Amino acid sequence: MAKVHFTDFEGATQVIEATTGDSVMETAVRNGVEGIVGECGGSLSCATCHVFVAAQDFEALEPMEEMEDEMLYGTAVDREENSRLSCQIKLCAEQEIHVTTPETQV
Amino acid sequence: MTSTPAVSGGCPMGYGAQAPADHHGYEPFAMEDPFPAYARMRSEQPVMFDERTGLYVVTRYDDVKEVFEKWETFSSENAQAPVRKRGPQATQIMTEGGFTTYSGLSARRPPEHTRIRAIAQKAFTPRRFKALEPLIRENVKASIKAMLDRGDDHGDIVADLAYSLPTVTILTLIGEDTSSVDTYKRWSDSRAAMTWGDLSDEEQIPHAHNLVEYWNRCQEIVARAHAEGGDDLTADLVKAQSEGGEISDHEIASLLYSLLFAGHETTTTLISNCVRVLLDHREAWEALCAEPKQIPKAIDEVLRYSGSIVGWRRKALEDTEVAGVAIPEGGELLLLMGSANRDESRFENGEDFDISRSNARDHLSFGFGIHYCLGNMLAKLQAKIALEELTSALPDLQLLDGEHISFRKNLSFRVPEQINVSLNAH
Repeated sequence: MAKVHFTDFEGATQVIEATTGDSVMETAVRNGVEGIVGECGGSLSCATCHVFVAAQDFEALEPMEEMEDEMLYGTAVDREENSRLSCQIKLCAEQEIHVTTPETQV
Repeated sequence: MTSTPAVSGGCPMGYGAQAPADHHGYEPFAMEDPFPAYARMRSEQPVMFDERTGLYVVTRYDDVKEVFEKWETFSSENAQAPVRKRGPQATQIMTEGGFTTYSGLSARRPPEHTRIRAIAQKAFTPRRFKALEPLIRENVKASIKAMLDRGDDHGDIVADLAYSLPTVTILTLIGEDTSSVDTYKRWSDSRAAMTWGDLSDEEQIPHAHNLVEYWNRCQEIVARAHAEGGDDLTADLVKAQSEGGEISDHEIASLLYSLLFAGHETTTTLISNCVRVLLDHREAWEALCAEPKQIPKAIDEVLRYSGSIVGWRRKALEDTEVAGVAIPEGGELLLLMGSANRDESRFENGEDFDISRSNARDHLSFGFGIHYCLGNMLAKLQAKIALEELTSALPDLQLLDGEHISFRKNLSFRVPEQINVSLNAH
């Protein structure tokens, strides 16, 4: 079972067991994790599933594609080095990942 | 002219969707206040076959969202088809005029849609929008000043601000002459009327001429970008093509045909609705004057409560069902996002306007999934700038005669025609 550790901007963490093949955004939306909106449903059009990925997990991810990089310029809270759009992070079996959600996605 | 026969859709008999004689109060083209009928359909018949338009009308949140999500079953190919069949005169005008486009993106299907959207998306990015922010703000300020300078203390938010602002923005992005706002608005009105309106054959004629002109101009813009280059979206698309991007000139022109309509039509309505609804809920307007940080959230609530597009079509590619109601292969659906957005099962006190609502962003006014509105961020950026400037320059703005605002007759677009205000400037 893949696992996602969601930490909100105030430091509260919840751990969600995820379905392999789902994205981090889908995992959040299905489990009602606040702090991720995912308004467009994963079509890279809204930038409301912005997360900061923990350093040790960030390196292990597939590098982002150009369009995700472009959309990260449209996030409500400014992007940082470890920013990703969580709709583009698909979970592998047994993968464990730690992400922090920004104060707002609006 | 509501007696035109149904254009499509199978016989509803035996599918459990037949509408009662009063259609729960629903009138497909009436936009004044469709919300009581929406509420009745949600509770009495959430999937109703409307034999007047040949459409299965879907009104509940979960069902609307599910149909958007299941794009393999529910094709978008009918999204741009005329609701009322094109008459012989209009058909002749358009054929002879070389009108050969149908849709830029919204009515295309994967894999074609995926290919073109990927290219369009790269040319239509937040970085490009943000670079335009100072221009947008200047244009809003200039519009406010022009209203004030008239000296009669009155304005019409539609004509004096919302009409030109997003139109200038999209013309700038595309690299088209910004003095042609009136021309593009004329063409866009024709497009909205020809596709989603309720026109007789005779009434279609002037609009058919406009669409021919409009399409020819889109092709000219592409030819010009090939010849002259430039720093705009059209030039980017042409460049993408020359660097091996799989997109033809006809596809680029079709994309322009979409963007030069969708890129301002619904944003004009959004800005108009923001002012209309907020002034109609004075406490919300005053909250934004006191705390402008709340503006983005308020815009989402306006989109939920009163979206620019309240209904959008899909077509079933196989025998299927929605909410237990059978839809035959070829059956056409009208997803009423304007109703879904007020569904109590999703939005507590859904009929109330409340800018502090935490889940307003779950609205479906931009659609959902692969066809999600490409311009959503640009639309909201412009509404935000307009409200920031209006609340700061004209906090005492007041709606005049708000109960008599007329809305254009249309199946999908709910467009207020004028929003008269008193400026109360000191």
